[in-house]
Amino acid sequence: MKNIFSAIWAESLKIYRSKILWITILAFVFIPFMIGVLMFVVKNPEFSSKLGMIGTKAAMLRFGNVDWQTYFGLLNQIIAGVGLIGFAFVTSWVFGREYSDRTVKDLLALPTPRSSIVLSKFIVVAIWCVLLSFVLFAIGLIVGGIIKLPGWSSEIAFPSAYLFMVISLLTILLCTPVAFFASYGRGYLPPIGFAILTLIIAQFIGLVGLGPYFPWAIPALYSGATGVGSAQLGIASYIILFLTSIFGLIGTLAWWRYADQY
Amino acid sequence: MAKVITYGLYNQSFWCFNRGVNKLEIMEDVIRTENLSKYFDNVHAVESVSLKVRKSEIYGFLGLNGAGKTTTIRMLLGMIRPTAGSAFLFGEKVSAGSCSLWERVGYLVETPSSYPELTVWGNLEIIRRLRRMPDKKSVEVVIGKLRLTSYRDIKAKNLSLGNAQRLGLAKALLHHPDILILDEPANGLDPAGIVEIRELFGDLASNHGVTIFISSHILGEISKFATRIGIIHEGRLIRELNADQLERLLDKRLVINARNKEAVKLMLINHGYSINLSKNGNLEVTGKEAINHPEHIASILVHAGLPPTLLKVEEEDLESYFLRTIEGNVK
Repeated sequence: MKNIFSAIWAESLKIYRSKILWITILAFVFIPFMIGVLMFVVKNPEFSSKLGMIGTKAAMLRFGNVDWQTYFGLLNQIIAGVGLIGFAFVTSWVFGREYSDRTVKDLLALPTPRSSIVLSKFIVVAIWCVLLSFVLFAIGLIVGGIIKLPGWSSEIAFPSAYLFMVISLLTILLCTPVAFFASYGRGYLPPIGFAILTLIIAQFIGLVGLGPYFPWAIPALYSGATGVGSAQLGIASYIILFLTSIFGLIGTLAWWRYADQY
Repeated sequence: MAKVITYGLYNQSFWCFNRGVNKLEIMEDVIRTENLSKYFDNVHAVESVSLKVRKSEIYGFLGLNGAGKTTTIRMLLGMIRPTAGSAFLFGEKVSAGSCSLWERVGYLVETPSSYPELTVWGNLEIIRRLRRMPDKKSVEVVIGKLRLTSYRDIKAKNLSLGNAQRLGLAKALLHHPDILILDEPANGLDPAGIVEIRELFGDLASNHGVTIFISSHILGEISKFATRIGIIHEGRLIRELNADQLERLLDKRLVINARNKEAVKLMLINHGYSINLSKNGNLEVTGKEAINHPEHIASILVHAGLPPTLLKVEEEDLESYFLRTIEGNVK
């Protein structure tokens, strides 16, 4: 455990001193703020003409009822979609930067085993992603309060918060294959490319009805982004997602341990 | 003039020599490779390299760029798995999981890289933690040793190449290793810095028993402090020699100039000397007799009324020897 704690401390210092942490937090603050603006415009149609293009776009969107229920649904869909890319970006940075900055060689022949370093990276990625999810949800609540969305009740808020948490965790679990591609590809671009590719493929897979069996489509299905909701998901879907995560974890650990590092 | 630096502070407490080092290790081959080979597809990056480095030796590992130096070093550090053969440190076979070994090994591979957004202190503190060193002062101590005190709170991205190199060396030295494996450690250092580092290595090896394996492509630099030299070319270890052997292997010649070179040439040929004309028009004599006793030739020429205007024993420079050795081993 001492190895892990040392490695977590090292990873935390790298993250804390980087601009990336603050950039991702800003991005996750911005997203609910923009959703709030759109909701506000839909709720107050008289503003749409004053806001130009934003107003026009907002007027075109069909959110359904402009209330907390709809707003929470949107936040859940956002974390399933944007989270997939955002968390992949975080993972790419944590793992890929060691290769891009050529610092990985300093981590390979130390008394702290490589496995501890990889695990600590996963732990800080998970904490970072949970923090971003929390930021998105918390700012979402504040923005919803500011624009005075109707229909607040704890019966809506708590299940929505639970749903948001589960979707976030499912999305975070899908970071492990991204870490593998960051290590295998020795940099940032391959894992980000991989994440974008999975998002595109998820759209096509969804069209042919195989979404419940494609790991990267599962969080969105769980959020109800497809309109059908989590009813499509069976135990097999969760097993597939967990297995994907485990393969990503084992693959990354094995890559760091057994692949030639040059 | 380069400042002479002493390392009085590299004392027993800094280097912790009571850490499991016993007399048996003194003659031990601290670093050993057996037929170490690495192939990348059809490229034989390293081929059957077998070498031994004893305790306290400074082994200069010399080769042109792409000769296989860094690949060998990466195999010594368990970063690359050999295609064939093995590497041993302290008699223990090296592998990616040799974590206990790395407590005694400091290294610098290729160009030093640090986390750009972290300060010199931050970069070293990370290594201290990952090396599980309880002594928090060790970072400050090594910063002082490598003359980085004024850069302690400067971000690595703002360091000059020379100071980045010092930071890389500081990471290698932080935990007082028994083995130092260094890949081109003088890169980016100014002449005073090179002298300083050379003296540091000399002190570590001779006074503190540290074994140093150091790669370079500059024989002239390595030969100033290495106790043994290995030359690698196209993946093969083509020559190994002690520093004192190097002196004997360098080509020597007697260079002569005179007002009447033709007459001098004829005179010396008549006395049994073998004469060549050098590129710059001087006469060159390469025989042992001429090199060991140039005064005989001076005497012959003066008595013949052909006094030399130049009479000098010239030694082949180290770079020429290096290139000659490599050229003689082109596949």
